[in-house]
Amino acid sequence: MTGAALARTALVLLGALLLQLTVGLSIVIGGAHPDVLLVLPIVTALVAGPTEGAVMGFVAGLVADLFVPAPFGLSALVGCLVGGAVGFVVPYSDRSPWWVPPVVALAASAGAVMLYAVLGAVLGDEQFLKLNLGAIVAVVAVTNALLAVPALSVLRWSLGLSGAEGRRAAGGRW
Amino acid sequence: MAKPRRSRRTLTTIVVLALVSISIITISERGGSRIASGLRSVANQVFSPIRSGFDDVTRPISNFFAGAVNYGSVAQQNAELRHTLGQLRQQQAEHAYQERQLRQLTALLHIKFLDSLPTVTAQTELYNVSNFVASIQIDKGTADGVGLGMPVVGSGGLVGQVVEAFHHSAVVRLITDGRSKVGVAFGATQQLATAQGQGAGRPLAASFIAPGTPLHTGQVMFTNGLADAEFPGGIPVGRVTAFGTPPGAGQISVTLRPMADLGQLTYVDVVLWEPAP
Repeated sequence: MTGAALARTALVLLGALLLQLTVGLSIVIGGAHPDVLLVLPIVTALVAGPTEGAVMGFVAGLVADLFVPAPFGLSALVGCLVGGAVGFVVPYSDRSPWWVPPVVALAASAGAVMLYAVLGAVLGDEQFLKLNLGAIVAVVAVTNALLAVPALSVLRWSLGLSGAEGRRAAGGRW
Repeated sequence: MAKPRRSRRTLTTIVVLALVSISIITISERGGSRIASGLRSVANQVFSPIRSGFDDVTRPISNFFAGAVNYGSVAQQNAELRHTLGQLRQQQAEHAYQERQLRQLTALLHIKFLDSLPTVTAQTELYNVSNFVASIQIDKGTADGVGLGMPVVGSGGLVGQVVEAFHHSAVVRLITDGRSKVGVAFGATQQLATAQGQGAGRPLAASFIAPGTPLHTGQVMFTNGLADAEFPGGIPVGRVTAFGTPPGAGQISVTLRPMADLGQLTYVDVVLWEPAP
C-alpha cells in the first residue's frame, strides 16, 4: 500500500468515525443505532481481498474500542474476523451484480453483531445476549446495506483501486 | 501454486491479527485497564475538538434524523426544563427519605446526604456509544474535580457512576448497564437489596429480598449508603413496577423502573463524593 493510499484510508476511517459519533448516534430505532465503522472491513474485503479486509477490521475495531467502555480489543477481534471471512467466502469482481455488496453487508453485519454479543458474553458480559439483539442486528445490518454502495466507491478511491483493476490488482499490496 | 501460497499467507495474517486482538483483550481485562484507559484518554483529548466541530456542522442532519424541524433549540430548552424538573422530583423524593430516616432515630447521622455534597453540572456529549453498553460521556473531567467512582445524578434520581475520567471528559456507566450494581434500601425498616442493570432501555432487577418482605408497587428504593458503599445514601434509584416470588425461590423477584429519566440526560450532576478505597 502506498503512502498516499494509506493517508486516504486513514482519512476515510476518521470520516467514518466522525459520522458514527455524530449522525450515527442520533439515529436510534428500537433502542439501537447504526455501526458505520463495521461497513469498512466488509467493503474493503470485497474490493481488495481478505487480508486487506482483516487489517481494516482490526484497525477500525481498535479505533472504535477507544470510544466504547467495553472490553478493549473486542471490536478489533470481530472486525478482523469479519473482514477476513467476507474476503474468503465472497467471490467479488467488478462484473458482480450491483446488489452483491448490499446483501453481503447485510449478512456480514448481522453476523458481526451476533459474534460481538457472543464473545462479549464469553468475556463476562452476559447482558450482551439479553439485550434486544434483534433490533440491534436489524438496524446495523440494514444501515450497512444502504451504506455499502457509497462505501464501495469511497474505499476504491482510498485504496487506489480503479474500477477496472478490482480486487485482483490489490493482491499483496498491504 | 501462487494462489494457495497467498491463501496461506492471508490466513496467517488473519490468525495473527485475531491473536493480537485476544492478547489486547486479555491484557486490558486482567489488570491492564490502565493502559486501555490511558489510550482512551489520549484519544478523547485529541478527537473531542474534531468531533465537536464536525458535530456543529452535522447537527442539522442529526436533528433531522431525530425527527423535527428546528429541533435543536426546542430540544435544548426541553432538556433544561426536564433537568430542572428532575432535580425537583429528586429533592422531593429525598425529603421523604430523610423524614423516614429521622423517624427511625437510627445512627445514620454520620451518613452524608446529597444535599450536603458538592456537585458539578455537566453536559452529555455522547449517549450510548455502543449498542451493547449503557453509558454516557460528559464534558467534565478530572480538571473539574470529577473522579473515578463518583455518583452521577439527574433527571429525578441516580443516573450512574463515573467509570473513566479523562482531563476534560468522563464516561459514566448508567445504572441500566449489565455491569451496574447498586446497594439499595427501602421501606420503613430499611430493608437492603441490590439493584442490578439489565441493559440499556430495560428495567432494573432488585435481588436479595427475602420472601415475605413488605413491598408494594410504586415503592421507591434509595441508595443505602452503608459503609464501603459505592454511593452516598438517600439517592432515589428506582420505583417498584412489579414483584413476585416464583415457586421454590429463595427471594422475591423485583423489577424497578429507574427514577431518573435516562432518555433525557442532556445535563447531569456529578456528585463530588468518592467511594472508600
